[in-house]
Amino acid sequence: MRYICTCCGYIYDPKEGDAMNKVAPGVAFEDLPQGWVCPLCYATVDNFDPLD
Amino acid sequence: MKPSVSSLFQSVELVQEIPPLLIGERCNPNGSKAFREALLADDWDVCLKLALDQEARGAQVLDLCVAYAGRDELADMVQLVKLCAGSCKAPLMLDSTSPDTLATILPLYPGRAIINSINLEDGGANLDKICQLAKKYGAAVVALTITEAGMALTCAEKVATAKQIYALAVDKHGLRPQDILFDLLTFTVGSGDESMRDAAIQTLAAIKQVKHELPGVGFTLGISNISFGLRPVARKVLNSVFLHEAIAAGLTTAIVDAAKVLPYAAISEEDRTLCLNLLFNRSAGALMEFIDHFELAKDEVEEDDADTLLEEQLRHKVLKGDKEGLEDLLIELRGRWQPLDIINSLLVPSMREVGELFGRGELLLPFVLQSAEVMKKSVAFLEPYMDKIEDDGRTSILLATVAGDVHDIGKNLVDIILTNNGYQVHNIGIKVPAEEIINKARELNVDVIGLSGLLVKSALLMKENMSQFQAVGLTQPVLLGGAALTPKFVAQDCVPNYLQPVVYCADAFAGLKAIREFEAGKLVSTSWQPATVTANRPGPQQELLDRSMQPPAVPFLGRRSVLDVDAEKLFTYLNEAALFRGRWGYRRGKLSKEDYAELNEKTVQPLFQRLKTQALTEGWLQPKVSYGYFSCVSEGDNLLVTTEGQQYDFSFPRQAASPGLCIADYFRTAAEGGDTVGFFVVSIGAELAERTKELYQSDNYHDYLMLHGLGVELTDALAEYWHEQMRIEMGIQQPQIADIQAYVAQGYQGSRYGFGYPSCPDLEAHRPLFAMLKAEEIGVTLTESCEMVPEMSTSAIIVHHPQAKYFAV
Repeated sequence: MRYICTCCGYIYDPKEGDAMNKVAPGVAFEDLPQGWVCPLCYATVDNFDPLD
Repeated sequence: MKPSVSSLFQSVELVQEIPPLLIGERCNPNGSKAFREALLADDWDVCLKLALDQEARGAQVLDLCVAYAGRDELADMVQLVKLCAGSCKAPLMLDSTSPDTLATILPLYPGRAIINSINLEDGGANLDKICQLAKKYGAAVVALTITEAGMALTCAEKVATAKQIYALAVDKHGLRPQDILFDLLTFTVGSGDESMRDAAIQTLAAIKQVKHELPGVGFTLGISNISFGLRPVARKVLNSVFLHEAIAAGLTTAIVDAAKVLPYAAISEEDRTLCLNLLFNRSAGALMEFIDHFELAKDEVEEDDADTLLEEQLRHKVLKGDKEGLEDLLIELRGRWQPLDIINSLLVPSMREVGELFGRGELLLPFVLQSAEVMKKSVAFLEPYMDKIEDDGRTSILLATVAGDVHDIGKNLVDIILTNNGYQVHNIGIKVPAEEIINKARELNVDVIGLSGLLVKSALLMKENMSQFQAVGLTQPVLLGGAALTPKFVAQDCVPNYLQPVVYCADAFAGLKAIREFEAGKLVSTSWQPATVTANRPGPQQELLDRSMQPPAVPFLGRRSVLDVDAEKLFTYLNEAALFRGRWGYRRGKLSKEDYAELNEKTVQPLFQRLKTQALTEGWLQPKVSYGYFSCVSEGDNLLVTTEGQQYDFSFPRQAASPGLCIADYFRTAAEGGDTVGFFVVSIGAELAERTKELYQSDNYHDYLMLHGLGVELTDALAEYWHEQMRIEMGIQQPQIADIQAYVAQGYQGSRYGFGYPSCPDLEAHRPLFAMLKAEEIGVTLTESCEMVPEMSTSAIIVHHPQAKYFAV
């Protein structure tokens, strides 16, 4: 499931991962490393909404 | 110039981008019991309130009718037109068929009104007089298709009558087609009368035909007539479906109770089919099927009228944020309770429940604010009946935004939540120096101090303030809140400087929780266990920068101001996710995807459309840009920018850890041949701050947050738009349709770093920036702490290097 940052609109798509945070494709949002923040605005995971 | 009508305060286009223009129908003694009673009692304040309530519920024009047996129409009209003219933002529709009344009130109205109405009932004598008045005072006119033979029932009669009226009004009296709103009349399809089964078909067909044969004219319709005689819950659905069909046929305005219109998307497929079968007379049993189906539906109105306990009703009003009938309810409750007990035993516990629902993610922030409005209104109503307000027992809190920081939305939200949970709040404003906070805390003898601030600098200042508070021996616990604060910073940097509890509060409800802990003697300082993991520092991971990038070709060197930015354009660049979910707080939370889509359709989109219309019609959205391109060279962590023979030094911080990024690195050094840099300062103007201030001061908490949030995102949209324009000017992007979703994720060459944001947090850079751009020309100035005023402004350095992306130092 994709998640959207409520602060800036960035969408975390597990299919793509997050290169800015060195997260490989295939990692579910729930499995992101502790301390992961939005690569664009640095909001923490509690600021994300499920999208799908 | 698009055909519009206006009040003293604003103009409203007759043909809305998304029709219809909603005309409130409730200021009419024949249509509203509340208005009739107020009118008969000469209670003008209540009459006005009913007008204003409709505005709040989305009406864009207000129909005003006072014709009632036994009343003096002229005197009542004069009274109310004067009152509404000074208070209602929505233009008035003067609902009278008397030329004498209209001749008296038209000159009193300071705007362009709509006359409701003309017809041919008397053969045209009144029509002649009223058209002359419309011409003289520049009013628009509603024309009803009524002749001496009566109301036009069939499509053919409606069209023929419309043409007759058109010939008189346009050809004879010189009104423009756009000045006429034809009401082709509609009648109920709910009566079972065989001859009226095709009433909707006739009306819809007539709208299409008149639109075709008399180009340029507008239309209006008393939508609710279609469902007369049916149950309220069924009427609401049928009216909404009929409105949808009428708009499709060409209807431009509608006389409706704006609050009772359902978004078409919110009506189930089954309900729609039943409505359409009835409206289009698709089967003999359509009406019975429709009635049977809605027989089972629960009627909201009836439910509310049930003899629920008054106390329970009040709780419901708070939970639902429903102000309708609130005063009546409070009057009844006063018969059973002391005013103070209504507050402490009924209202405060309900607000507590609201807070708990919010905490569990079951209630969104905008709804919390509507609940707070109910609370505020109730307390304001009850206060005059209380001997004196008992302040002694109440916990009191001093709130301030720290020195050098002008942001007050966060602090004001805390004020709203605490005040409406029964606490005594002293909100002493923005940019408050430590000395003043200390003096006020002593003078007011408050129990707790709350500090707020958005900037990185404000967080550092809070740390300093703690030492100052300690030095003078303050004894109050301190609550800290703000965007740049973290629990870690509060625990490690603020807590050690002050002996009393220092507590990090993530939002207003965390503040409320802290106050309750204080009251229970359980408030303790925020603590922080160094976790095994540290927060990520996201950013581009490459370490080697391509040094071969040539500077882009720029259209000019130096600065320019752009004062005529198209306001409507900004909406293309608006980050709706950030606005709706972030600024406004319409988060999905525990909602299913479908429920969230419904919330979006029913609540968020209508609100957005309402505010968008306001933004584009009320004139407060004044986008302006100050920008430029300059020669520069990179030197270590600095960027040396030259213009008009002067050199300006921009110093940028560098990441301590690998890859050790610094903005200066993206530009070529003097040895590499130098480079070109762009800068801008953009602003949507100072007017919005006035509007939000008014809303806050008049306790319109919900609208306050919504408008403020929209302003912030429109400012960002302007920055996004101008960054795109500059990329196009630099030739690093082709002109194209803006892909805002891609822009959000920096899907373009280069980057735009805002001053005060994580890649370049130091606002001091504004000094050289403003010296170069002279942004004063677009009305933006700096405070002593280098913050931009008005608040709705933003600045940036534009970097063309393809490897440049956001990072945090």
